[in-house]
Amino acid sequence: MKSVLSYSEDVGLAGEVSAAGVEVANALGLEAIAIELDVVSVGLRPSGRVVLVQGGKTLEDDTDLAAASIVEVAKAKGSQVLLVGDTRFGRVVAAKVAARLRMGSLGNGKKLRVVGESLVVTRDAYGGKFLADVASKLPCVALVQPGSYSASEGAAVPVETITVTAGETKIVVKETKQGRQAEAGIKSATVIVSAGRGFAKKDDLLLASDLAKAIGGALGGSRPLSSDLGWLGEDQQIGLTGAYVHPKLYIAVGISGQLQHVAGIKDSKVIVAINNDKQAPIFQVADYGIVGDLYEVLPALTKLLKNG
Amino acid sequence: MNIVVLLKNAVDEAELRADPSGHPILKGAATKMSNFDKNGVEEAVRQKEEHGGTITVLTLGGADSKKAIREAMAMGGTKGVHILAEPEAAPDSLGTAYYLAKAIKRIGEVDLVVCSEGASDTYQGQVGAMLAELLDMPFLAYAKKVEVVGGKIRCEQGFERGVRVLETKLPAVVSVLSETNVPRYPTLLQVMVASKKAIEDVQLSALKESDYPETGFEVVALTIQPVNRKRLILEGQPEEAAKKLLMALKQEGVL
Repeated sequence: MKSVLSYSEDVGLAGEVSAAGVEVANALGLEAIAIELDVVSVGLRPSGRVVLVQGGKTLEDDTDLAAASIVEVAKAKGSQVLLVGDTRFGRVVAAKVAARLRMGSLGNGKKLRVVGESLVVTRDAYGGKFLADVASKLPCVALVQPGSYSASEGAAVPVETITVTAGETKIVVKETKQGRQAEAGIKSATVIVSAGRGFAKKDDLLLASDLAKAIGGALGGSRPLSSDLGWLGEDQQIGLTGAYVHPKLYIAVGISGQLQHVAGIKDSKVIVAINNDKQAPIFQVADYGIVGDLYEVLPALTKLLKNG
Repeated sequence: MNIVVLLKNAVDEAELRADPSGHPILKGAATKMSNFDKNGVEEAVRQKEEHGGTITVLTLGGADSKKAIREAMAMGGTKGVHILAEPEAAPDSLGTAYYLAKAIKRIGEVDLVVCSEGASDTYQGQVGAMLAELLDMPFLAYAKKVEVVGGKIRCEQGFERGVRVLETKLPAVVSVLSETNVPRYPTLLQVMVASKKAIEDVQLSALKESDYPETGFEVVALTIQPVNRKRLILEGQPEEAAKKLLMALKQEGVL
């Protein structure tokens, strides 16, 4: 008995990865199985079945326990392809499972297809400037980027429960400093106003959030604003190392347009750039550009939107 | 404390050009130490400054990786080990982790392996965790802050669902983030001293044994992503440009 497995600890992403799993399973003529650890968190699945893994501990608290659980399912179900949602947690778990089962792992997958005895994954290469198709022989592991597949509605599917003896972990959690941050909603937003280094100080981001409010969008930003400056949450970070977004409208404000940022916004329908440096590379990837001072342009835009 | 720091000499993607058929011109392309790896080297140097010991700079890559090894040694590395693999012979993530693990086992007693969150060119974030598995060491991923006290390592881990403080016993593998520290610039003197330090060359064949994981990895296609954007600059004073923009967005049907 062979199958195609999918897993993500992120409830939103789990549906997308399971849609990808069903597509690959259909191509291979195998059963699609969605793995859930500890509890069933996604109600509906496109097809196939859910395997719920439970142990004596919370398996999803630790990458080693999660990996050990998935390895059990992969062995029991003859996994030909294991798809994992591409998050920080998912990347570690996928790599651990691949190493334990001695399978290839293909990161960053945007599109998946089966060619002969291999899985072919399309992914960004060289900071998103190029697209690569890379192949690994079955059985293998691949990571699925958020936003690459749509979570179809689906139906209630049978749930099979597997009980495991929770594996060992050598890592002790001493403290939880900060729980999950409030969802800023950039992944599902249809309009995003995104801020970059062009903002002089944190308080000035109000100009961007005012515009976001007036236009009915979410606020995001480039990596320096969340990682280095801490002005935005990590879940608001857009780009290669943060979220890949695909809104109808993306407004980049004070963002120079480094490759790593552009990689995450390429699938937007319309891109607008506002920057005072007319040489900024962001203008090369934008549909509409305003060369000007964001401190003047943003209030003007917000005012016009408010006045209808 | 004996530290190994991993780095990748990556193609400088900002400089990379495509040939008329859309394929990247990799021959002779500019390369540099993957940006994130500078944070890894910095963390290794800080730990060595605090606890003493050695830093082995380890990489797998083509001949031009020497430059990146020298840079890491100028920042504070003790010695270098270069696993030679030209881009066309480059293994996949699991193969890379396999060779790195074999090389680390040859180094002898290692207390801490430091890497970064991923490489700037592919950003798959797989090798560190795989290496930890192959070395049978715990893996502290995405560490925002690293502390080594009395044979234990403690770090703040940043996952999407929150920040936690984790602790484990050494030896361990840790991956750091770009916000973990600010990489130093070596002085001219350090650069000169580093240019004389020894770098050991190791061939893939010297490390590959019968347990090598054959995954059938292959790059099937590699082409430039076309950028199809209008690139219209809206001129005028802020209010005027803003008006033009909103009109254009309405016509696009995205407002």
